[in-house]
Amino acid sequence: MTAATGEQPSRDVASREGRIGALVRFGIDASRAYGREDLAERLSSLQDRLETPAVQIVVVGEFKQGKSSLINALINAEVCPVDDDIATALPTVVRHGATSRAHVVRAYDEFAEPVRERIDMAAVSDLVTERGDGTRDVSGVEIEIDRRFLAAGVMLIDTPGVGGLGAAHGTATLGALALADAAIFVTDASQELTAPELAFLGRARELCPVMVGVLTKIDLSASWPKVLERNRDHLERAGVGVDMLAVSSLLRTEAVRRRDRRMNEESGYPALLHHLTATAITGARERLESRAVTDVVDVVDSLRVAFDAELAVLEDPQTAAAITRRLEAEQAAAEERRGLAARWSTALNDGITDLTSDVEHDFRLRVRRLVHEADEILDGGDPAELWAEFEPWLTNRMSQEVLANYELMSARTEKLSAQVAELFGLDGAEALRDIASSDVSGRVSEVELRPELARGGGGGLDAGLTALRGGYGGVMMFTMLGSMVGIALGPLALGVGLVMGRKGIRDEKQRRVGQRRQQAKSAARKYCDEVSIQVTKDARDMLRRIQRHLRDHYARRGDEVLRSINDTLRAAKEAAHTDAAERPARIADLRAELERLSRLRERAEACR
Amino acid sequence: MTGSLLDQARRLLDLAGKVFDEPAQRDLLVAARVRLEEPLRVAIAGKVKAGKSTLLNALVGERLAPTDTGECTRIVTWYRDGLTYQVMGRRRDGSTLPLRFERADTAIEIDLGSHAATDLEALEVTWPSSRLRRTTLIDTPGVGSLSTEVANRTFEFLDPDETDSPADAVLFLMKHVHRSDLDLLEAFHDTSMALPNAVNAIAVLSRADEVGAGRLDAMGSARRIARRYGEDARIRRLVQVVVPVAGLLAETAATLTETEFGHLRALAAVDASSLESYLLSADRFIEAEPSTPLTSLERAWLLERLGIYGLRIALVVLRRHREMTSGRLAEELRRRSGVTELSELLSTLFVERSDALKARTALLTVERLCATSPTRPGAEGVAAALEEMTANAHPFNELSTLAALRSGWVAARAPVIADLERTLGARGAAPAARLGLDSDDVEHLRVEALAQIARWQRLAENPMTSRDLAVAIQVAVRSLEGVVVELTSRLA
Repeated sequence: MTAATGEQPSRDVASREGRIGALVRFGIDASRAYGREDLAERLSSLQDRLETPAVQIVVVGEFKQGKSSLINALINAEVCPVDDDIATALPTVVRHGATSRAHVVRAYDEFAEPVRERIDMAAVSDLVTERGDGTRDVSGVEIEIDRRFLAAGVMLIDTPGVGGLGAAHGTATLGALALADAAIFVTDASQELTAPELAFLGRARELCPVMVGVLTKIDLSASWPKVLERNRDHLERAGVGVDMLAVSSLLRTEAVRRRDRRMNEESGYPALLHHLTATAITGARERLESRAVTDVVDVVDSLRVAFDAELAVLEDPQTAAAITRRLEAEQAAAEERRGLAARWSTALNDGITDLTSDVEHDFRLRVRRLVHEADEILDGGDPAELWAEFEPWLTNRMSQEVLANYELMSARTEKLSAQVAELFGLDGAEALRDIASSDVSGRVSEVELRPELARGGGGGLDAGLTALRGGYGGVMMFTMLGSMVGIALGPLALGVGLVMGRKGIRDEKQRRVGQRRQQAKSAARKYCDEVSIQVTKDARDMLRRIQRHLRDHYARRGDEVLRSINDTLRAAKEAAHTDAAERPARIADLRAELERLSRLRERAEACR
Repeated sequence: MTGSLLDQARRLLDLAGKVFDEPAQRDLLVAARVRLEEPLRVAIAGKVKAGKSTLLNALVGERLAPTDTGECTRIVTWYRDGLTYQVMGRRRDGSTLPLRFERADTAIEIDLGSHAATDLEALEVTWPSSRLRRTTLIDTPGVGSLSTEVANRTFEFLDPDETDSPADAVLFLMKHVHRSDLDLLEAFHDTSMALPNAVNAIAVLSRADEVGAGRLDAMGSARRIARRYGEDARIRRLVQVVVPVAGLLAETAATLTETEFGHLRALAAVDASSLESYLLSADRFIEAEPSTPLTSLERAWLLERLGIYGLRIALVVLRRHREMTSGRLAEELRRRSGVTELSELLSTLFVERSDALKARTALLTVERLCATSPTRPGAEGVAAALEEMTANAHPFNELSTLAALRSGWVAARAPVIADLERTLGARGAAPAARLGLDSDDVEHLRVEALAQIARWQRLAENPMTSRDLAVAIQVAVRSLEGVVVELTSRLA
């Protein structure tokens, strides 16, 4: 960012950031001090994410609206190639890096994991635009550049606008949006929002938490305020709650070149950057911070349990036997919860198996319906006449089916994830209720492993989503749909006899139409088959990843809970054998420790 | 049947008139007959806001059609040459009524009086103008956004050979979209005037200046895009050629006033760096400092008339040639807008072939009558005469062969197809254009024509040549023989 642009983060945000960072550090220190490396590790990984957050902002819009120019102007660098004619053909990720460099992401075959390869910055242009030939195995390009705006963890993703928002690529874009933190919708000032654009915005709004509309190319015509106003009207009437800002990339570039502050303001970019910071970046950070606060509170509670139990036994040795009994029972339950026979684990494994077969079945049904519809259309006319429109229609419909299937999968995954979380929590919570309803002293009920703790903190939903979003989720989704669209239907041979005389031509046409229909139908079927194979495989992979992720997540939480219970049990047993003479000193110590943990917990609660 | 194509068509209509004598049928035939004697009808079609009226004005060279979205642009409006200025409204029942109109400082304002726009089928503006002498232009309201419909299901491309239509030829105005976009073919869904067909349609990439963000090289980019569209198989079968036109600039070039020219000159005198700074954006240009020569209203007007691209071009031209007159500037802007090229294409592709196109329209009428009332006594005779004329009239064979070639119905290597298309008159009917030579030397052309005939015949006789291709070659050879005859008579 140059001095002229001068976008500063507000003081308030910085101090909150600092407070939460300190909170997590205290949590880590406390965990280590009490010998709980497992809890410390959980907080450290959170600390890493806080320090290098990832905010995915996807830039979407129709063909040739100035998406690449917008990214270049946002970060003041010519990273995304801009051309009047040739469009961006590959998703391009722009992120922070100490030095400028570029990587290409290649998937050599559909079964291999994508590989990152370093490429020359100068080669980016040819690769990303449609000039690029023979790059079918390239699924995306990553560019790293040193910019303060990006240093906050922002990843800008340039998407191809080809094919129109109403078509297959529009659907692919929606898929990418579902996994992003924020989206910038780009439309230029030469025209009001069109019906397909509005429809796209309506759906995108549902999928993406933060969305902002940007009116570009306001330097071209003086009537842009009218267009802006009408666009806002359109959005309001359509019930799409999206704000719209106006920018000129040309003015921004000139302003930076001339170091002209006024012109920079005029370009609209400072306002856009401010808006993005206030919504997308802050929003993502706030979600992460609230997660951090919850985790610190959970860690504190886990640490407290042992002290609470020890204190209860020391203060009233009569309760020792009851507490020990309860804790032993709970220990057994916790052991079981870790095992393969645990209810949550069974639910997860069965759930994923069911889900896999349901998702596949759903897609098969969709494809069958589509094939049927396609046959009907082809029967209704001559493929030679229909093909020009049939082909995009088919790919468009297909990608809609893929998206619908994907939506089904992600909704069901979330449900499953919540179900597993609940079972995991329930198992814990039942044990707790037993403790609470026992005849032990009132103090013991405070030993309750709070439900959040038992559930392993964080909330199960979040765990599932992380699995879905994982790394390049958004981009992968995009390329998956993108490569699918690329499947060629093959040329339709139009060997119609050129016979002079109208009657002759008509007869000849009749005779050959049937032949062409067969050819067209089998091409359509072949296409549907190929897509099915690809989609089914991708869905299986994704579900397997989710399964692994959830299993590891809850297994870790189960270990933590068991460890807490073991520690508590040991502490309670030791307390029962403590000398009466040593008791007052130990009680004072424990009170002090508990006081310290309470303070940390209060500070964490205050950050909520 | 012998005689010129138009004579044959007249005789066929007369013959049909004797057989199909119901009032409705007679009306159709009379209309077809009248049409044969009229100038070629060229409709301007495309989506709303594609710049149809602007292009019409540019072609006529006057601001006739209102370019803002008023009541009148919602009615089909015919512009034809005539002795007096008059505007007629045509009701749905076919009756006409004179309408009052006013020529404001810009477009014609038509007073519909008590008539609702929906009652009128069309408006007919008669306007003495040399540019309208050979073609009647038809401005259409255009189709709305069809995207949703297209996306859902629009597979209703009719067989272009089997319907008749109000226009003989069409200019389709298309916008710049990606070639995989469904909207690509949207412009051609405007079939109210005529169906797109590779022999009677030209596509115009309108608003070409917006393609390149108004930069000075915008038209270069637009030309590249138009060329690529022209090579797209789907577009090839719908139109002959795709040309880019910066409509607004073309219109203004044709109607530039001395006052506007004066203002442009005053601006051109401003020092280069301030001028560059003003031209960065439309807002900057209008709100420029008070020291600039014009008032902000005057600047806003210039911007509206020329657009930012037109302004940049005009000022660059004026700065380079300080002595330029307003006429020369207008000519230069016209050339750079691409409309000059379009006019030339209209003349070579449509006007030179207007007899064939008009006769084709007449024949379609007769064919439809034969098809709808095949049992009428004598209908068979008419159908036979029609068949004979269609089969023997070489210009028709040229048109249908050309259409077949462009639709990809003949399998051959691309250069062979291109040569065949050229020989059949795809780039103009003049001998040099057909032979693909840039020469006026009649003898040289004749020798070359004979050589080409020999080459084609060898290819046609080659056993590897498909039957389709051989038939297409026969038609092309016949065209070349016509060329030889014409050249020989010129020599003599």
